[in-house]
Amino acid sequence: MADQPSELPADTSVLFRSRVLFLTGKGGTGKTTLAAAIGRLAASQGRRTLVCELDNQRSSLTAIFGKTPTYQPTSVAPGLSVANIEWMPALDDWLADLVGAGRIVRMIMKNRMISIFLEATPGARDLMLLHRVVKLAEQFDLVIVDMPASGNAVGMLSVVGTSRRLFDAGPIRRCAEEIDAMFARADTNLVLVGLPEEMVVNETVETRGRVTAELPRLHQPLVLLNRATPATLSDGERALLDQLEGGELGVEARELVDAGRWEERLESATAEALGRLRAVVPVALLPVLARGEGAARVVGQLTAALARQSRAKVDLVGDVPG
Amino acid sequence: MSRSPLEALARTQKLVVCVGSGGVGKTTTAASLALWAALSGRRVLVLTIDPARRLANSLGLSEIGNEEVRIPLERLLTEATGAPEPVPGGQLWAMMLDPKSTLDDVIGKVSKDTATRDAIFANRIYRSIAGSFSGSQEYMATERLYDVYGSGRYDLVVLDTPPVKNALDFLEAPGRLARFLDRQVMKWFLTPYDEEGGVGKRLMLGTSAVVYRLLGHIFGREFLKELSVFFTLFRDLYDGMRERHEAVGRIFGDPRTTFLVVSGPNEPSVDVATFFVQELRARSLKIGGVVVNQLHRARLVNPDVDALLGRKARELDPVLAPQVLARLGAAHRRLRDLAALERQWVGRLAAAAPGVPLVEIDRQPGEVHDLSGLLLLHRWLFAPI
Repeated sequence: MADQPSELPADTSVLFRSRVLFLTGKGGTGKTTLAAAIGRLAASQGRRTLVCELDNQRSSLTAIFGKTPTYQPTSVAPGLSVANIEWMPALDDWLADLVGAGRIVRMIMKNRMISIFLEATPGARDLMLLHRVVKLAEQFDLVIVDMPASGNAVGMLSVVGTSRRLFDAGPIRRCAEEIDAMFARADTNLVLVGLPEEMVVNETVETRGRVTAELPRLHQPLVLLNRATPATLSDGERALLDQLEGGELGVEARELVDAGRWEERLESATAEALGRLRAVVPVALLPVLARGEGAARVVGQLTAALARQSRAKVDLVGDVPG
Repeated sequence: MSRSPLEALARTQKLVVCVGSGGVGKTTTAASLALWAALSGRRVLVLTIDPARRLANSLGLSEIGNEEVRIPLERLLTEATGAPEPVPGGQLWAMMLDPKSTLDDVIGKVSKDTATRDAIFANRIYRSIAGSFSGSQEYMATERLYDVYGSGRYDLVVLDTPPVKNALDFLEAPGRLARFLDRQVMKWFLTPYDEEGGVGKRLMLGTSAVVYRLLGHIFGREFLKELSVFFTLFRDLYDGMRERHEAVGRIFGDPRTTFLVVSGPNEPSVDVATFFVQELRARSLKIGGVVVNQLHRARLVNPDVDALLGRKARELDPVLAPQVLARLGAAHRRLRDLAALERQWVGRLAAAAPGVPLVEIDRQPGEVHDLSGLLLLHRWLFAPI
């Protein structure tokens, strides 16, 4: 990719040709909903798909699929499974692979000192969780990882690099190397979920910078700008709205004009967000769906929107004048 | 008319902790509450653990660091029309947590001499844990909180917590660290490395021997050695750090500490807020209120757009009037449907938090990013109920 192009083209097909997709973004941007929607769509295209969370003590997937994810993947629809990778069983599995004897592992794990040691050893938890993703990617065609919010997610992913510097040898070093190899694969991708809001855009730009600096092995991330409102109002229409707004209005007429202004602001916020983001990272738009609806319904609508997008192979709503 | 529940809180409490999922206006709520208390004459610090620059954003500053920054309240008088005259003595301070330099500060404080401190700073393991691993932010937040709370410089500290999914992490952090710093546990780790020569010099039997061998196998001898150096350096610090963390645990349970649960009017954040209410109650921690931010409002059900605006619009622009009127009608229908859906989520949250005052804040026209913006929120935050 050339240095600092004025606008980076978005290639949403990475969503559908990846084997591992990490999703992160500022809190409240709709990561989990999107993870579920991409998962549904991939499964409907015949790919064995897993949507998983990392050691999340309070799963948001439950509200969407009606099933609380467990460590072992459970099927929620044809071709679609969910899981919550908890770190202790992940560690257990990794040790069992290593030592080969379940009984010894169990005995060791029962030792209080050991669990405290591992809990406290820098990065051990994150490494075990990510290593489990490596293993799951061998069993599924697509593993979608619903990561924590961006600040924590980048810290977690960069543990791999830190660990490779820290551990000179031994199985834990190999573990970090296997995760690192997964990062370097062309079919491993990072998606940043954003919203057309100033502070969310700030954080997305900041995260994008951290990814370059701290996760050199990962490819350039794709930003999915969620709840985007494409511009439809012409300059003339906007001018008329402005004039109405500036005039004397009764309470009821005022409420109507305010509603128009509310939508107009959503449009300009989207244009502004796109302008800032596209200077540093490829961005694809996802439309505003039924705002305020329950998660399960939004996932259904989002899945349909993604399906249209993947067929059209272009930005869903085309270019937004900025 | 009774006073707003948050008013009493801002006047009397020593610590207010804002919790909730990300993107619901937690930082803005925290900053607005802090501003109100400062204007009413208290010395207030708003402390954010959020790695994003949101507090700085909402205070209209470009940068806030690990040091306390004073926000000049006088700025309000020039910035905002109708701003109240601050009650003398009031101060507003802001600070954003930088985990790495906070940890350095703590080590500096509890180290017995500069040699120990420098050895710790130089340790490879220390350098890699400081600020980068899961949970370190929460540890450091409680450290910082302990400092400022006990400093005597503030009448009120408003703590804005990070948007972690497992949102009570920061409450658990002191406990986890205390467990980690358990003297017995430390002794167990350090025993084989205590004397020069490391593992092998000491005869170990049974489980311990197996465990050490396994650990050496997994992490490599070099790492274990380095880790033991790290633990040795830390050993003298344990008691100090543990005391501090236990003290923070007591602060959370203090009668002058209140939790404020912040939510948006949508399923994911109401879900998280409900969870918070349950968890805080299970821990017998005091909940001062639930704040629902970013509400959309529509009072009209089926407005006659043409009757209300038709003539005026046609006078201004006869050509574009029809399509603009149609758009206003459509926009209003969407706004109305959204507002109705949001009512349901607010209702659900109210039902999940019986007996807790619920404060509703309308969505602001623009994003709040200066003192006057924070001031506007007071109308909702401190509305009498």
